[in-house]
Amino acid sequence: MSSTEKVASAIVELEQARQPGAEKAAGKSVTRAVPKVSAWTRWRFGLWIPPLVTFVLLGIAWEYVAHSNPFVIPPLGNIAESIANDPSAYWNNLLVTLKEVAVGGGAAIVLGYLLAVLMCEFKILERALMPVVMVIMVTPVIAIAPALVVAFGFGMLPKYIVTIIVAIFPILINSLAGLRAVDPGTLDVLRVVDASRWEIFWRLRLPGSMPYFFAGLRIAIPFAIIGAAVAEFVAAGEAAGLGAMISIAASQANLEVTWAGISMFCVLGLLFVAVLTLLRRRVLWWDNHGRAPK
Amino acid sequence: MNAALTTAGAEVTARGVTKRFGVRGQPVTVLDDVDLRIAPGEFVSVIGPSGCGKSTLLRIIAGLLDADEGSVAINGETVPQAIRHKTMGLVPQTPALLPWRSVRDNVLLPTQVNTAANAGRNLLDVDELLTSFGLGNDLRKYPRQLSGGMQQRVAIARAFVFDPPVLLMDEPFSALDEITRDQQRLGLLDFWQSNRRSVMFITHSVPEAILLSDRVVLMAARPGRIAEVTEIDLPRPRDESVFLSPQFREYEIRIREGLRRVMKNVEH
Ligand SMILES: Nc1ncnc2c1ncn2[C@@H]1O[C@H](COP(=O)(O)OP(=O)(O)OP(=O)(O)O)[C@@H](O)[C@H]1O
Ligand SMILES: [Mg+2]
Repeated sequence: MSSTEKVASAIVELEQARQPGAEKAAGKSVTRAVPKVSAWTRWRFGLWIPPLVTFVLLGIAWEYVAHSNPFVIPPLGNIAESIANDPSAYWNNLLVTLKEVAVGGGAAIVLGYLLAVLMCEFKILERALMPVVMVIMVTPVIAIAPALVVAFGFGMLPKYIVTIIVAIFPILINSLAGLRAVDPGTLDVLRVVDASRWEIFWRLRLPGSMPYFFAGLRIAIPFAIIGAAVAEFVAAGEAAGLGAMISIAASQANLEVTWAGISMFCVLGLLFVAVLTLLRRRVLWWDNHGRAPK
Repeated sequence: MNAALTTAGAEVTARGVTKRFGVRGQPVTVLDDVDLRIAPGEFVSVIGPSGCGKSTLLRIIAGLLDADEGSVAINGETVPQAIRHKTMGLVPQTPALLPWRSVRDNVLLPTQVNTAANAGRNLLDVDELLTSFGLGNDLRKYPRQLSGGMQQRVAIARAFVFDPPVLLMDEPFSALDEITRDQQRLGLLDFWQSNRRSVMFITHSVPEAILLSDRVVLMAARPGRIAEVTEIDLPRPRDESVFLSPQFREYEIRIREGLRRVMKNVEH
């Protein structure tokens, strides 16, 4: 196989990977004429050069500001040095925050979806609970967090609760909308053959709600990270987690540690978003991202 | 084997069906004392101006809506009983296929629910069924890979697959372009002529109604009621050549005149 062919087949594979169900379903092997590709297309320069340029320019601007105003932001090198000098401290704090996001966010996802299913199936539950949900949702979490820390002490529990409170609403609201947004035609087809509520849920509502659920996840995951950070800020005395680390370092005007902590939050967020994107591609291969079919 | 001999369809009888919808507290009579009988294995089309209550009548027969007065019986059973026994197959106006299921699995959907009612039933072979609908090569495709006409054929196959004696179709071809519609009509005609079931078929197209039906029921609006019934006495099996026959032209003129009368009355 020549290198041109290799690249071309890699591109075909990439395209197949985007629509795995479709190609597999067709049961056809995809044979396309090997296109003559320019270097530009071949390496997909158009895809990664523009963001790279943006990041490089931002980095240069950052360094310029850092060197002319050292009390505003620290040079990037110093931030990296700070992490390299004491990696285990950063690592431990990262793990604490990760655990809060994973446990709190995970609980929010499970509870939010379950609640949405119950509200969809039992209208009375929606009437009973939606007002409470709204009240909690419009209350800023930053205002609730200190009260929760007072009530539950400095352990992990208040952090889980704060994270759940922020992350549960996008899941609940989106999933409920998705469970309801089933095609009325399909619903009629199933009702005429006396499908049970369970059968309608299992075969129609559950899979149909997945695009909405994933849209909810996309909001809920950054929210969960915010929740964990806020909970740590208000319980900074405990000195565990990235949020606490940032809060303490900032109060001591320790810019390197502050920004090292911030960059770890960045990594944490990107990590979750990456996992989510992969998961979505696997679960929702059939959803054409809201584009009109065909 | 002649499927028409095994199940010929069921008798559908609607008597004195009346339905009112409350619009801002004021009830509007949408159906007024409608009587409709579909004999076993008979193809009945319902035609009429938009909003005259065709879909409402179909939904009442399908058990998706309750009548305020009157009754519906299907082979002597009540509608809830008929539903429990999977007596009716529905073809909605849009294909309403599930995008995460292949063509084959979409068609199988009605056989996978209420499985108690599958006992002793002659479930059709999906692959054979889809092949006879010209979809033999598309069994494993997904709905978004099909054209609109193909999707609608899948929806029709989905209604036939559990071999219900009664089929209810609400303008199944209305979303298609004229050329595709012609194809679909003839396809349905072919399939139905070798698998005769009782059919209630709603349409806005006079030629379509004549081509397919044993009887064409013309409805008038406000309140929705049956205005005229035309027996279509064209020989079966039919094919596209009926379009050319002089009787066809006569039926077409007669039904179009009926439609015009019905529409004129509305304006007064
Ligand atoms: N749920 C409802 N609430 C109030 N009015 C309704 C409802 N459903 C239908 N109607 C009214 O009943 C009348 C008949 O509706 P229906 O859908 O049966 O008409 P149709 O004959 O099927 O029309 P079309 O040919 O446009 O599909 C219409 O005037 C409509 O506005
Ligand atoms: Mg209608």
